[in-house]
Amino acid sequence: MNVAIIKRRAGRWALNGAAAVGLLYILTPLIFVTWLAFFYQEIPSFPPEGYSLRWFAAILDQPKFVNGFSLSFQVGVIATLIGLALAVPAALCITRFQFTFRAPLASLLLMPLIVPGVVLGTAMYVFHVTLENGLDVDVLGTFYALVAGHVVIVIPWIVRLVTASLSGVDRTTEEAAQNLGANAWVTFWRITLPAIRPGIVAGALFGFVTSFGNLEMSLFLVGPGRTTLPIVILQYLEWKIDPTIAAVSVVQILLICIAMLITDRYVRLARVV
Amino acid sequence: MSDTALGPAPSLPPPSDGGGARRAEGVGRSKALTATTLLAPATIFVAAGLLAPLAILFRYSLNEFVARTKTMVEALTIQNYITFFTDPYYTAALGTTIRVAVTVTVACLIVGFPLAYVVARTQSRFKHLLIIAIVLPLFVGNSVRAAGWMVVFGNKGFFNTTMMSLGLIDRPIEIMFTEKAVIIGIIAVNLPFMVLSLQSVIESIDRAVEEAAFSLGAPPLTMFRRVLWPLALPGVLAGTILTFILAMNAYATPFLLGGPLFKMMAPVIYNEFTQKTNWPFGAAIAFILMAVTLSLTLAANVLLHRRAAR
Repeated sequence: MNVAIIKRRAGRWALNGAAAVGLLYILTPLIFVTWLAFFYQEIPSFPPEGYSLRWFAAILDQPKFVNGFSLSFQVGVIATLIGLALAVPAALCITRFQFTFRAPLASLLLMPLIVPGVVLGTAMYVFHVTLENGLDVDVLGTFYALVAGHVVIVIPWIVRLVTASLSGVDRTTEEAAQNLGANAWVTFWRITLPAIRPGIVAGALFGFVTSFGNLEMSLFLVGPGRTTLPIVILQYLEWKIDPTIAAVSVVQILLICIAMLITDRYVRLARVV
Repeated sequence: MSDTALGPAPSLPPPSDGGGARRAEGVGRSKALTATTLLAPATIFVAAGLLAPLAILFRYSLNEFVARTKTMVEALTIQNYITFFTDPYYTAALGTTIRVAVTVTVACLIVGFPLAYVVARTQSRFKHLLIIAIVLPLFVGNSVRAAGWMVVFGNKGFFNTTMMSLGLIDRPIEIMFTEKAVIIGIIAVNLPFMVLSLQSVIESIDRAVEEAAFSLGAPPLTMFRRVLWPLALPGVLAGTILTFILAMNAYATPFLLGGPLFKMMAPVIYNEFTQKTNWPFGAAIAFILMAVTLSLTLAANVLLHRRAAR
């Protein structure tokens, strides 16, 4: 056989092998957490003494996981809805109009993505303290303050994905609709909105998941007796690692996996990520 | 990714203004009104929820802290910033953070490039599943992934048990609560960002230029060095910047895998704020972290651009 072909084939295998190592590296922590969730014994020692499903039932015995999940879910849904109401019009404005300060304002809306979570958290914390002292109302540690903080980190995702989606929409269809007598609102509702739905779906998904998984900022915003799931997990892991926390993680992984597969049907994630 | 979701500053597409010819003055004014109603709510929300808090935090960093009574006193001093840079405890934390972030970024680039290339070039119909497998861990949360590494690294964990049963080591190697564990953990956290940044750029490179290099007799490594790498440089830049920033700010991974004695900047800030309630100092460290991250990123940017220009 030709030496060049053999060499090229070997190179291909080496490349695929290196890629497989990379993928395996990314997935290793998830694989081991999932494995641990099915252990029979409580201590994470290898090899496992046997396998069991009892840890999944054990989750329900610990109300902090259930409560944490429910709070994270509520905050995520509400923050995403408010984020959509604020960010979709903003994205529309940024792509459709030319005005002074357009670029800086667009950067401002994306800025929460690049400010470190811990800095964001501390800044909001002192802000809430200042508000509380100034207005004489409870702010710090309230549900509303937590949601408001999450809206700030949801907005950039929606702005970003909807802007990308809008710039691909052909304006002539909108103009045709208006020439045929549709007003601005009807044009938006019947023409623009269906065209940018993939961007909105992707933005909402990324926004929700960002909110649901947020740890660093939320650490400063939660109040006594009111803790989000990532914080519950962090505090639990600080003391011990056992199959119960692994089972909690597996449930979370499964839910996110399902959400992503559903979203992928509407909008190819490969194109929006 | 560099042009949609996670890359650095997004490039704005020029607005498509419909007509093109200047409309009447009245139309312009109603347009301005529409634009304002659309943009104002989000802008005001982010300004109030982000800029105002950052401004107050900066003001706090100039205040004084009385350790004896644990209270903050209004002042206008840069003492907190001086304290940070003169106390070896804090400069060591900054040094550790930079060292870890640089190591992680280089490792991510080396491990991530082949995967990004294969994902970008694959013709498989399972490509979207491959992408989901890379994106999924991003959403699972850093604590959960740290938990996975705890299972691997523990004294009776997978790594030590396997190595001992193979007879490669006599007693468990201490990995948990070391810098090694933290670095391995953060690489896994940041790798998807690097892969997606690289992949989107590699995908846009025409396959034909690679073929041309091969047909002119270039071995794969030469093709990589002379063709692929220079063309992929924007993706490399976006990926390294993102990975570096994320590593500098990492909180959960150093906290869980590094243990209480391992100091990186983000956990130190959290500690100053909640444990020591020293808000002015915590605020100062927060701004030092942002400033250092930003200036190192800019420096790397300039350096890489100059290299690329040569």
